[in-house]
Amino acid sequence: MSNTSSNAGDIFEIRKIRRLVELMNDHDLSEIDLQHADTRIRLRRRSEPVVVSAPPPAPVASSVPLQDARPSGEATAGPAADDEHVHQITSPMVGTFYTASSPDTPPYVKVGDHVGTDTTVCIVEAMKVFNEIPAGVSGKIIAVLIDNGEPVEYGQPLFKVDTRN
Amino acid sequence: MFKRILIANRGEIALRIIRACRELGIETVAIYSEADRDAAYLRFVDEAYCVGPPASMDSYLKIDRVISVAEIGNVQAIHPGYGFLSENAHFAEICRSCNIEFIGPPHEAMLRLGDKNEARRMAREAGVPTVPGSDGLIDNEEQALKIAHQIGFPVLIKATAGGGGRGMRVASNDLALKSSIQQAQAEAAAAFGNSNVYLEKFIEHPRHVEVQILADQQGNVVHLWERDCTIQRRHQKLLEESPAPFLDDAVRQAMCDAAVRMVKAAGYYNAGTVEFIVDREGNFYFIEVNARIQVEHPVTEMVTGMDLIKSQILIASGNPLSVSQQDIRHTGAAIECRINAEDSRANFVPSPGRIEHLFTPDGPGVRFDSHIYSGYYVSPHYDSLIGKLIVHQPTRREAIHCMVRALEELDIKGIKTTNPVLLDILDHAAFVEGRVDTTFVERTWPG
Repeated sequence: MSNTSSNAGDIFEIRKIRRLVELMNDHDLSEIDLQHADTRIRLRRRSEPVVVSAPPPAPVASSVPLQDARPSGEATAGPAADDEHVHQITSPMVGTFYTASSPDTPPYVKVGDHVGTDTTVCIVEAMKVFNEIPAGVSGKIIAVLIDNGEPVEYGQPLFKVDTRN
Repeated sequence: MFKRILIANRGEIALRIIRACRELGIETVAIYSEADRDAAYLRFVDEAYCVGPPASMDSYLKIDRVISVAEIGNVQAIHPGYGFLSENAHFAEICRSCNIEFIGPPHEAMLRLGDKNEARRMAREAGVPTVPGSDGLIDNEEQALKIAHQIGFPVLIKATAGGGGRGMRVASNDLALKSSIQQAQAEAAAAFGNSNVYLEKFIEHPRHVEVQILADQQGNVVHLWERDCTIQRRHQKLLEESPAPFLDDAVRQAMCDAAVRMVKAAGYYNAGTVEFIVDREGNFYFIEVNARIQVEHPVTEMVTGMDLIKSQILIASGNPLSVSQQDIRHTGAAIECRINAEDSRANFVPSPGRIEHLFTPDGPGVRFDSHIYSGYYVSPHYDSLIGKLIVHQPTRREAIHCMVRALEELDIKGIKTTNPVLLDILDHAAFVEGRVDTTFVERTWPG
């Protein structure tokens, strides 16, 4: 259980999709079809072999999202972006995520900004040390996945970058 | 009492600590590497944080990440388990300087006891018998030869920064001694960053007997009797039992009292184990102190009825011991078998992989401490210990029968385990009749 917060309003956000998958598992649903304005997502669960003994493995997205989704932004329908040009910047450490260097300064980046490999995108603070995190790729920020002040773990996705631009 | 504890470990000991916390009403925070994402015990904790990729060096041993989790997870204490950071005095010091209690001994005691030569010196001062040997570190070859002649060959060259069976060489004559010392020093420098060595008389056919102790922060120390861990292969324990079979009561009592003296002399508190070797004549000698909770702690829990993990937590939160020495009874006989993911029929080659099917033993007097489940993937990145099977019966004979029964019930399909060699050991007359030493397994089942 980690502490990401969702980017409100984007139904293709991974967290929400994961919750839909969990809902399907919990209630033994085989298909969910959702539509909102001109975006749509349909999730269909493939059949699984019956496990006879011991507790079930931890819930992992076991559904196959279809490509019906017509994205307003970029659609990522699984734990890893299935669009090759969408890169996730992940946290290289455990700590607290900050969007800016101080409460009074503007955020390092926002959606729509262009970044280079060395551009600082955020701060992850650990043990009173403020570590500037570089983008690691060049492109356009298309999503900010964590709220200011939220804790993050190793490998946690922080931003989505469209590397085409 | 702590409100929330971070468990800085994985696998069966993480689950063990989580269980104790839940029973005490303490919230839990867990850490996991990417390889342990599907660990079943993560279901039972309040918060869990990924601390890195599979390799321990890049995850569980990353002190900064562990402390970060402790801070964002808002814990008051960290339980280090065994292995990993449990005997890292630097880590213990960092925890406490960050106002997070380290559930274990004071780091000063850990440092002193971690230096094996220094620990020997402390033992001698406390009137605890030590193996005849050099009274300090070896300065030069001439001195080594002189001492070897005094105590008599064969001698054991030991690295002062070593431990757990590592950094040791046997020499049976002058020539061997000269070359072995140089090699031992080079190996020690490479493995432990400290080339210092000392000499001990090499005790042939030894038994390994250790004493469990508990000490609170108020200066009270008790022993919880002994465990016999003679059944080993390459210094790795396979089976442990209590009481130590066919051990003279006077020797047992003297050993336990010596352990208490040693712990008091070291200014130690929390749980710990004092290791001895016992020779064929029944003489016992101090080897080292293990400044942590040990893998085989359930053996002691079964025969004394005490929960050692809970005791550790209570001691760390400042409680005095709830028992005095005379309250600690020893009842019946307990045996523990370590179940490792190794093919004991193929020279113990590691056997990682997915457990396709699991049936676990149970019934009166049986306890299985394990984190595995059907479908669990045993990763190649960690220790091969996948479970501990413990039995407790009124007599040793019944405990042996019960363990055989339980091992035969235990069914793990998909990987190989050390189950077969454990059954062989329990069936062997030498084991049953107490005619074993620490070389028994390797001599009887050579690779």
